[in-house]
Amino acid sequence: MTQEIRTKATFPSVEWFKAIGEIVNGDDGYNRIGTCDATVGFKFPDLQKNFRLTFEAFEVADVREVSEVEAESTDFWLEMPFERWKEMLENIKANGKADLHHTLNTIDIEIPEGFARSNDGYRRDAFYRFNQTFQYFFDVTARIDTEFA
Amino acid sequence: MADTTSLEIPADLALVAEEKGISLDVVRRALALGFPADAIKGQLSLPDATAEAAEAFVAEQERIRAGGEITVPQELKAVADEHGWPEALVKRALALGAAADFIGNQIKAGIPPDIAERFIAQQEAAREGGMASTLDLSWMKVPTEWGIRVRPGKKGLTVGMLNVSTYADIPDIWPYQTEMPRGAYPLAGVPAMGYTIYEKAELWADNAADLYEEAIQRRWRPSTDIHWETLEELPDEVERAMCQLCTHICERALLSGDVIGRWLPEMSYGYHEVKLYLSTAAYDAAQHFDVFRKRAMSNGGGMGMQSPGYFHRGIIDTRAWTEASIVLHILSNSFLMGLFQLGEYVAHNEAESNIFRFSMQGLARQLAYGTGHLKYFLSKKLDRRGEIHAYLNKAEAVFAFEEERDVPLREALIILLGGGKGNDEVVDGVRKLEYFRRRWVRDYLARLSAAGIDRREKLHPYLRQFAAEPAPVPA
Repeated sequence: MTQEIRTKATFPSVEWFKAIGEIVNGDDGYNRIGTCDATVGFKFPDLQKNFRLTFEAFEVADVREVSEVEAESTDFWLEMPFERWKEMLENIKANGKADLHHTLNTIDIEIPEGFARSNDGYRRDAFYRFNQTFQYFFDVTARIDTEFA
Repeated sequence: MADTTSLEIPADLALVAEEKGISLDVVRRALALGFPADAIKGQLSLPDATAEAAEAFVAEQERIRAGGEITVPQELKAVADEHGWPEALVKRALALGAAADFIGNQIKAGIPPDIAERFIAQQEAAREGGMASTLDLSWMKVPTEWGIRVRPGKKGLTVGMLNVSTYADIPDIWPYQTEMPRGAYPLAGVPAMGYTIYEKAELWADNAADLYEEAIQRRWRPSTDIHWETLEELPDEVERAMCQLCTHICERALLSGDVIGRWLPEMSYGYHEVKLYLSTAAYDAAQHFDVFRKRAMSNGGGMGMQSPGYFHRGIIDTRAWTEASIVLHILSNSFLMGLFQLGEYVAHNEAESNIFRFSMQGLARQLAYGTGHLKYFLSKKLDRRGEIHAYLNKAEAVFAFEEERDVPLREALIILLGGGKGNDEVVDGVRKLEYFRRRWVRDYLARLSAAGIDRREKLHPYLRQFAAEPAPVPA
């Protein structure tokens, strides 16, 4: 991940997710992982904000801000307090990618309800099936300048 | 004699002729007789091919072609008479340019005259009207659906996209006992292949075609995709614990491959999506064995102790694919997914983190197939829900028996979670292991629930103790 992209965006926002989506959509490393088909919700309860991303084939096909119900009408959603999101992204920025204590799986384990949640035990497994894709997506955040809301 | 000077001789044939001292005029005459260039080259390349023999052969063929009498050598006639070959048939073979010795050897080899006649007639037809006239082509009138033109989508041309028009008809019962692909036209008289699963409900999962494509698309290489260079020396007990975990996973991977391999030949060809996906699942199992064995043997450790194996035998001994699938793919793999998560959580370096994260993906596809199959099975076999609980009652009991006896794995997990074998570390490890058990049992129940099985009240007592919501993970 040596590509330098000077993008500044506020997290969490549609612009921020789109900025990451635009990077991975043209990224060889992301493509090499393989296709990914999943809808993923992002919930920020303490900010009252919710987003939904559609991963389709080799790209992030859609990003939108949605209601809480819509965020939960996905394969799974990622949810944790805003401060924890911030810590994860700052760790990624500092290291160029998540260190061993800030991978999606590790954070998922540390939260009793899980970082990845779903109303459907089958659909939640998309978190594991495409784990490398989602980790890559977040590791790419090191390439932009994130401002926190 | 026809004018052959305008016939072009291929360069490689001319080279062979020159090496043998055979004139190019003889070669042109052979071509004019209709012998293919490759056949002439082959004959001229034989060790006993000489200019004199080539000239004699071509001259004899020209004489026969001009209506000259064909003489069957006495020795060949005797062999033909002995094996019931009519003299006229032998003459037709000679007229085609076959050497007497060659014909004699074919007769002695036991080729019956009726078979020989068909071949000779085909060669004669080829000489008269070219090879095209010898084709049968009746197979082109096969009554399968024609004109299909599937176009690639965002993910390329996938297996699932081929299910269009009549090719999308996937029957509830597959009526053919042979290896005929779905959509092809059956040939009468083809022997049965001995499959035992002909009913869609017994193996189908709606996600099978997608899982196959996913597995193919998301390949990774244990040898080079893992950052092996990040491995570093660990405390002895931690290295031993990691190697014990790797040994256990290796054993599970071999078992998974064996179970799938045992059942694949039982599944009829009507449901190729499932067979294709399961072939990748067997590959994933091999890859898991590969990468965890590599971890065990790349950081100063080695392989650990074998597990008791009761549960493994329980899976191998299943008597129906649906039983095998729910025990292997849902029960066993829910536990294994818990181990993969745990392994990633305690990873000491990027290599270990990568190993467990990459491996999760293939295992999750198996979970998805198992859940998808159970859901489909239950949608078609409403009266067999109790049977599923019976399979799980037995499997969970054997699993519990195995868990209680697998001391090496349990202690290895405690050491990995606690970070060592000191008293405080062990206390911490025991607490965290409890937490992990609750997590994987929760996920196991959630998968069964998604498939349509509420297992909460029927769960084996050993597992039920972990069925409550996980308490916060200790720091």
